[in-house]
Amino acid sequence: MAIALFLSVLLIAACGLIYELIAGTLASYLLGDSILQFSTVIGAYLFAMGVGSWLSRFIGKGLVQRFITIELLVGLVGGFSSSILFLAFAYTQAFRFVLYLLVIIVGILVGLEIPLLMRILKDRFQFRDLVAHVLTFDYLGALGASLLFPLVLVPKLGLVRGALLFGIVNAAVALWSTWLFREQLPRHQGLRVLCALVLLALGGGMFSADYVMAAADENLYSDEIILSRQTRYQRIVLTRWKDDIRLFLSSHLQFSSRDEYRYHEGLVHPVLAALPTARRVLVLGGGDGLAAREILKYPHIEQVTLVDLDPEMTSLFSTHGYLKQLNAGSLTNPRMRVINADAFVWLEQSRDLFDAVIIDFPDPTNFSLGKLYTTAFYRLLGHHLSQSGFFVVQSTSPLFARQSFWCIVETLKAAQFQTFPYHVYVPSFGEWGFVIAGRQPWHPPVTLPAGLRYLTVSNLPTLFDFPLDMTAVTAEPNRLNDQALVRYYEEDWKKLTH
Amino acid sequence: MRRREILGAPLLQLSRKARPPIAGGYVMDGFALGHRLRDGGRFEPARQTTKVETVIAGGGMAGLSAAWWLLKKGYGDFVLLEMEPEAGGNSRFGQNEVSAYPWGAHYVPVPNRKSPLVRELFEEVGLIENGELNERHLCHSPQERLFLHGRWQYGLEPEVGLSRQGREQFARFEEMVAGRHATGKWTIPHALGEVDGKLEGQGFGAWLKENGFDAPELLWYLDYSTRDDYGSSITDTSAWAGLHYFAARDHDEKGPFCWPEGNGWLVRRLRERAAAKIRTGAVVYRVERRGAGWRVRSAAGDYEAKRVIWAAPSFLASRLVEGAPPALGFSYSPWVTANVTLERMPKMAASAELAWDNVIYGSPSLGYVVATHQSLRTHQEKSVWTWYYAMAEKTPAEARKLLLSASWEYWRDRVIEDLSRPHPDIAECVSRIDVFRNGHAMVRPTPGLLGGEGRRTLLRGLPGLYFANSDLSGISIFEEAQYRGVEAARRVLS
Repeated sequence: MAIALFLSVLLIAACGLIYELIAGTLASYLLGDSILQFSTVIGAYLFAMGVGSWLSRFIGKGLVQRFITIELLVGLVGGFSSSILFLAFAYTQAFRFVLYLLVIIVGILVGLEIPLLMRILKDRFQFRDLVAHVLTFDYLGALGASLLFPLVLVPKLGLVRGALLFGIVNAAVALWSTWLFREQLPRHQGLRVLCALVLLALGGGMFSADYVMAAADENLYSDEIILSRQTRYQRIVLTRWKDDIRLFLSSHLQFSSRDEYRYHEGLVHPVLAALPTARRVLVLGGGDGLAAREILKYPHIEQVTLVDLDPEMTSLFSTHGYLKQLNAGSLTNPRMRVINADAFVWLEQSRDLFDAVIIDFPDPTNFSLGKLYTTAFYRLLGHHLSQSGFFVVQSTSPLFARQSFWCIVETLKAAQFQTFPYHVYVPSFGEWGFVIAGRQPWHPPVTLPAGLRYLTVSNLPTLFDFPLDMTAVTAEPNRLNDQALVRYYEEDWKKLTH
Repeated sequence: MRRREILGAPLLQLSRKARPPIAGGYVMDGFALGHRLRDGGRFEPARQTTKVETVIAGGGMAGLSAAWWLLKKGYGDFVLLEMEPEAGGNSRFGQNEVSAYPWGAHYVPVPNRKSPLVRELFEEVGLIENGELNERHLCHSPQERLFLHGRWQYGLEPEVGLSRQGREQFARFEEMVAGRHATGKWTIPHALGEVDGKLEGQGFGAWLKENGFDAPELLWYLDYSTRDDYGSSITDTSAWAGLHYFAARDHDEKGPFCWPEGNGWLVRRLRERAAAKIRTGAVVYRVERRGAGWRVRSAAGDYEAKRVIWAAPSFLASRLVEGAPPALGFSYSPWVTANVTLERMPKMAASAELAWDNVIYGSPSLGYVVATHQSLRTHQEKSVWTWYYAMAEKTPAEARKLLLSASWEYWRDRVIEDLSRPHPDIAECVSRIDVFRNGHAMVRPTPGLLGGEGRRTLLRGLPGLYFANSDLSGISIFEEAQYRGVEAARRVLS
């Protein structure tokens, strides 16, 4: 009998601590700054327990009945606390208010438990044994809870189900108490029905936890993240919103599946359609295989060599179901040769010659990437370009980064190439610029491959016409020993964001 | 596992968090051989004597340049004797699995029209092609940065938090320098121009005070510059030398030239050309008059020669060369160079990327130079940083005492401590620190050295023996070493 009584103390204490830990964890998880969240949650909770203990003096008669009601209330509020908090964060602005309201309600109720229980038991034990035993089991319960929470509850059940499980424990203690204290309970039938109802509600919660989480998640992230991977070189993040898949590399948008065809048709076809005898093509960057998809539309291209730094990038786009569909399986095409290497170093070591080169590097945001846009780089590239060949360079936005764009043109000129700058409107990017370079004049192509969605033979030449706000501005060429481009790029984007 | 071990395990874990220890030690230590030479130690007599028209003693930049010039002019009857296992002197270099790296000189400013010899060599080795500088070997962006007030700024002239008065003094100093540059008399090598005797006789510190320069940032910057180029502080440097650093260079240059192995890149090319003439491990322990010529006694055998080019430091001559004058007024600064191998890069703010030359304001060190800076890779995980310390705040004698007594661990800790200021996590990134201590690294251009009697005597040389070390210029830089070496070669040919 005595053991059973003290066991219920242990369970109650464990439940109380679990709710506190859940509130603290959830607040840290959703709001960040775990030190602040845990400190304020614990402080508010302990204070509320004090309030509960003080309030216990106003409860006079019917102690056992009150005790059981309080247990049921704790079980209900505590059990549903994490569901309520998740939904409050996803759907309302009042997460903090709900958080502290719940913490205070549960705190007050838990604060009432032990004083009431001690008063119920005061006639069965010596006072000094009572205090010793109740507090011993109280602290033991706390220890159990603090171990269960991180080791079992969170990893195995999650926060929503974990809270509900302990709500059920609270309600079970209430139900059990109707037997333990049956002599002191004149009408226990009603209480037992109440207990059953609460248990039913909590059990139902256990089943529908997934729906709660899904509902909350849908509202938390407007764009669903389908993949996030940190490689040696960059962070690859893929998001989906309805039918729009977006790729971010180290937080920079690479493409949106809704309009990437504009970018990649614009990048590839003005050069390749003008080279009907091209056999061998080199792609630098472009590990997503989307430029390669466009290149493979020419049956006379015998081999496409793609050099991209990150093996995880090319392997992702060779194997991932949806991404493979997007690039039409280009990376696993037998005409493809995929090489993972640093482009500058690879060019330095290779002896291969190409009829066309497609350069799709990240924007020159720093001096390391800026090297790939220098006169030295283009001169080296020239050694790999056949006499009649052309190459094209993705050259950032002539509208948002006007001087950067014209700096790339200037750099190509300084490396002794003829240049043919043009621009394409890509809704998710804005106006985007490219430069064709070669050793002789480039002429617009007279045919294009079938199945394009953006380019036509008649609209292609119009891309080479620049509106007044994108026409050439003076710029220094970008050299290894004086990377003007990185400076321009920083200034251009600073102007735009200020 | 025994019970005691089980019980002890948690206690053992209470000890300090361990990180893999930093490996390394002293390299190229030349103290023993140097002191043996100084103290007239015995060397085994040679078994054979070779006759050769000219001996070049010393395979640093001066000796290698003399060889380069002789060979260019079709003169092949000579040997070059180098005491170390590798020729290269202050431009020697090392190499590990991460990168090649310098042990001393690590750049050459873009030569202007007043440095014809440097241009001639640079055209020969492809650094200048059809009058255009080879971009690959020019120092890539960003070239320099300075750690000041807890953050990095690009460029070495302090800008962050500079007072108006400081700004004015920088501008005035630059004006004074530009005026001197415009005269055309400030050249590298300086022998092709004119040395202002009054400035040469005066200390740079005193000159600055006399001209009203007292902004701490300016004084720091100029002191850094003289320590960097000469190994001496502004007070120990002549005003002429202090100004020469700035006034002899073109202002719009997009340089300097630099390489992973530092000036070792030039050494490689000069060594290749003279490979058949170089004898390494050939310490010269005595040079005696022999009739009208000389007998050069070395660990690689004795040589009977008509002429000798003494390209080793001039102060050694009075001990080793019969009849050589003492190097009066010559003093040399001791240096410590540490090559620090990094397994990963420390955390760095995106606002100031790693530069080639990285200097810490207020530090006694000269900061560090990044050996992998000229790499064409966009992504680098490992690197070698060369940390330089010219012991300019001490007298050379005191500094050499410390060099002899301090352990490698002392330098390891000093390097880490110094680099920890800008990079608090550096200790976790470093796998190896190799330390080179050089007791007589560079001649110091102290006031009056150039106009002094000691230098004048050495310049005259002895009959058939010509001094060629860069210390005769009072400035230990590539261009002066090359000039002195070629000048001596010209005297041999004439």
